[in-house]
Amino acid sequence: MNMNLLAVAPEVIVVVAVVALLMIDVQWRPGPVWWAIAAAMGIAGATAAVALQWVDYRGADAASFFSDMIAIDGFGAFAGMVIFPLAGLGLMAAWPLIRSQGGRGAEFVVLVLIAATGAHLMAAAANLIMLFVGLEVFSISLYVLAGFTRERVDADEAALKYFLLGAVASAIFLYGIALVYASTGTTSIGGIATYLRSTILLRPGVLMAGMAMLLVGLAFKVSAAPFHMWAPDVYQGAPGGVTGFLAAGAKVAGFAAMARVLAVALGGRIDDWAPAVAVLAAVSIVLGTLLALVQSDLKRMLAYSSVAHAGFILTALVAGANGIPDMWFYVATYAVQVLAAFTVASVVSGATQGRAPLSDYTGLASRSPWLAGMLGLLMLAMAGIPLTAGFVGKAAVFRSAIDADYLWLVIVGVVSAVAGLFFYLRVIVLMYMQAADEESGHIPVPGGARVVLVAVGVLTVLIGVVPWPLLTWLRDALPL
Amino acid sequence: MTGTLVSLAILLPLGGSVVLLFAGKRLPEPLAGVIATLTVAGAFGCAAVAAVDFLTGAGEALTVRWFDWMPAFGVDASLGWDRLSALMTLVVTGVGALIHLYSIGYMKGDARFGRFFTYLNLFIASMLILVLADNFAMLFVGWELVGLCSYLLISFWFERETAAAAGKKAFIVNRVGDVGFIVALMVVFAHFGSFRFDTVFESAPEVLTTGTATAIGLLLLVGAAGKSAQLPLYVWLPDAMEGPTPVSALIHAATMVTAGVYMVARTGAIFGMAPIAAGTVAVVGAATALYAATIAVAQTDIKRVLAYSTISQLGYMFMGVGAAAYVAGVFHLMTHSFFKALLFLGAGSVIHGMHGEQDMAKMGGLRRKMPATFATMTIAWLAISGIPPLAGFWSKDEILGTVFERGGAWTVLWGVGLLTALLTAFYMTRMMWLTFFGEPRWDDGVHPHESPAVMTIPLLALAGLSVVGGLVNTPFRTTLEHFLDPVFDAVRLAHVPTGSTAVALAGASVIAALIGIGLAALRYRDRVPDETGFAWRLMGRGYYVDDVYGQVFARSGKLAAAWLAFRFDARGIDGAVEGMGALTRKTGGWLRPIQTGFVRTSAAGVVLGAVALLGWFLWRGGL
Repeated sequence: MNMNLLAVAPEVIVVVAVVALLMIDVQWRPGPVWWAIAAAMGIAGATAAVALQWVDYRGADAASFFSDMIAIDGFGAFAGMVIFPLAGLGLMAAWPLIRSQGGRGAEFVVLVLIAATGAHLMAAAANLIMLFVGLEVFSISLYVLAGFTRERVDADEAALKYFLLGAVASAIFLYGIALVYASTGTTSIGGIATYLRSTILLRPGVLMAGMAMLLVGLAFKVSAAPFHMWAPDVYQGAPGGVTGFLAAGAKVAGFAAMARVLAVALGGRIDDWAPAVAVLAAVSIVLGTLLALVQSDLKRMLAYSSVAHAGFILTALVAGANGIPDMWFYVATYAVQVLAAFTVASVVSGATQGRAPLSDYTGLASRSPWLAGMLGLLMLAMAGIPLTAGFVGKAAVFRSAIDADYLWLVIVGVVSAVAGLFFYLRVIVLMYMQAADEESGHIPVPGGARVVLVAVGVLTVLIGVVPWPLLTWLRDALPL
Repeated sequence: MTGTLVSLAILLPLGGSVVLLFAGKRLPEPLAGVIATLTVAGAFGCAAVAAVDFLTGAGEALTVRWFDWMPAFGVDASLGWDRLSALMTLVVTGVGALIHLYSIGYMKGDARFGRFFTYLNLFIASMLILVLADNFAMLFVGWELVGLCSYLLISFWFERETAAAAGKKAFIVNRVGDVGFIVALMVVFAHFGSFRFDTVFESAPEVLTTGTATAIGLLLLVGAAGKSAQLPLYVWLPDAMEGPTPVSALIHAATMVTAGVYMVARTGAIFGMAPIAAGTVAVVGAATALYAATIAVAQTDIKRVLAYSTISQLGYMFMGVGAAAYVAGVFHLMTHSFFKALLFLGAGSVIHGMHGEQDMAKMGGLRRKMPATFATMTIAWLAISGIPPLAGFWSKDEILGTVFERGGAWTVLWGVGLLTALLTAFYMTRMMWLTFFGEPRWDDGVHPHESPAVMTIPLLALAGLSVVGGLVNTPFRTTLEHFLDPVFDAVRLAHVPTGSTAVALAGASVIAALIGIGLAALRYRDRVPDETGFAWRLMGRGYYVDDVYGQVFARSGKLAAAWLAFRFDARGIDGAVEGMGALTRKTGGWLRPIQTGFVRTSAAGVVLGAVALLGWFLWRGGL
């Protein structure tokens, strides 16, 4: 058996931190400071481990270990470098929520850490079974997180909905794995790719059905239409502090898995799945944009906008492996933006609250100019205004799609992006051009949220102004 | 090593302006000015050390690459260091440093002292980017930054409505010229596929036809006329007097207006292929020189005299570069920057001493009260009038001589130049007499006094330069000619006259100057004559060109803008945008009922989607 501890180092480090945290918490009940220390060490260690993987393996072909279960390559390492810091930011943003839960707060920290390992396993899996394990570890943590505030009924409802629908999607995905196995005789991602390239299937029906089901399962996770209907209810119901990580983590992990499955394992059948992905992308972009327009709740609006963004990211995938660097660029920059946007929502509307009605944001600029400025910047970035990372991301995925001869998809995307301006700018208009309610005062910003917002704001503008280093970096490192 | 020094020359003032931008308010008053002055002096030092190789003859032109800027256009952010840019850098930083020093005294007690030096430093840095650019794109960056800085500085006292208006006017008129410049850049890129100077100039003879070269040349002239205040785009410069006087000195002497002359000299390879464009440059220059000189004769505001005199002198430079006398044009640019900076700073000193009075009718007899200012101004007056051996004589005479030597129709331009020389001597003498000689005509309560040393030292330094500055290029010792030879070798078309012709021409221009001085001295010797007749009023108002522009362009422009803003935009554009918004919102509302929130609906969505996908794949696979 080919073993390499570096391959599992990120997961091992996080799990050690989780176990230590749980045991210390049970024994001494030391309080939130020690949770933060344990989480910080786990995340820092895992980030260091994926950074090491990146240094050693970027630009090279995937090397797989542990009986062809886990791969180390630039792809997985970069995913880790997004996921683990994202978990850290998510915890910082959620800190008021964690403290408000008293002794149960430790569980919250543990769940976020475990979700992060699951997400990274999805990205680093070399085998569909491993990928499924990661998917379940990740998803089950998120189900619990969504309903973490037990006292609020709509949060419980959101968690239950997420769980029921997620279970259906997982089942479909698992059936897809079985069908692909039936047709190719292996569950190894590399093995499937080799088999499909070297073999002409006379009766590909079973494989085709398997591909369709894999696609359904993953499209559900990234909330692409028409598998998106859970997203608005879950994002709106879940407590404000956790929604950001829920939305951002699901996108990163889901697209990492999707790229592995479609572009790598099924890369040889790109002519079969690319049109389907293109249609999913177009439907997601159009539906997400149209429905976001009519929302009166910020979190719900962001949920529909995330459906549209899922469509934009899928746009990069129609180019197959060639679109992966652009996909990662978009996913990484969008993930931090959506995390930060939900962070603002949790600060303004309350960390344990579900709803974030847009009326909370009227005249925010005069009450809390700093918060309003950050949310305004994030809205511009999501709308894809130049000099923000959002613009570069859109330009990059559109170019991928044009290179792959999907001009119609790009036209749909551009038109929808223009229409999307309406709801992003509506938030800015509300904040800056309308007077605040008389009794609402200044909103204090917790330290953690402040760090998250500053970090994301700086990154968004910096990458928007100077995108080349990151773009070329990704292109060099992700040959896949 | 040289490359580092050249980069430092830009980075020092740029860094200074960034530091002052953030710290300027907190620094005690003189410190901000001292820092700014030191950065520019440091830039001068760097440039001087870097230029030593050129003086010894060992230096080679070199390119300093900063970073990849626009790979798609093959443009790097890089600097070109050759003899022409070295000379320009030395003039800009040298004169600039003296003006900075002077400003410490002049701006004393201003509420935005630190902010003033922020802009001043940025101005120098922008001008250095302009003259050190090694491609058209960088040149354009400097070009626009200079325009921005002039706007900021002219309207520095923006509380005064006239100052705010003057700043806007400078910016807008410059933009008119910029249109020509931008189109010229597009044509250049379309033909050469590159913005790099060396690529463009080397391949110009193969790539360009005469027609294209003429088009590019004329478009560049539009840009240059805007920045260098030539007919018909000169109107912003007289109004630029609204800025603090050191700003006027900076704009007129070291930065900004010289940009157009520099640009024509730099693109000599293109003008060399386009005789019509080059001739147009010279004609525009000659016409501007004469035209502005006649207006300067009738001004009563001391700074407006100088403003029109700058326009007129710039006309000389255009005449020179248009006649392919590039060395002479650049030479006059250099000497003019010495004595014009001196004149402005001297005028500033007078205004400072007169408590802000600018009307010459209320001056007179100041020579005893302000001896240092008077002495230095006298040198500048003789220098600009063209009295040998002061700086202005040599450079002006070289332009006129070269123009004459080309013969034919050029002789007419020479005649215009000679007439302008006479007028120049006349109006400068008039200004000196009204200001410094005769009986005091001060308002009550005005007690003129000499300015502090921080202001008079720059005057003395500039006076020294105005005396000896011309000696670098005389018919006896052509140092500058040799210095710039490598730059203009390929584009030399014109020659300086020699022998008896040269002596005769020099004699003619000295006589013209003496006649001008004599006439003015006679006229203003012991009285202030009545100058309110029709001709005086006509010239005093600049032939009402400004008023006509105001009626024709500004008014119609405002009407068009109002229509666009309140009719076309409000109804047409907004209507379309809002209509689209309403349409999408309606569609969204129509879709909304699908989203019930029931788990069964969501599950139905998943199942329907799955069935559709299965259908597609199975159809593709042919089951």
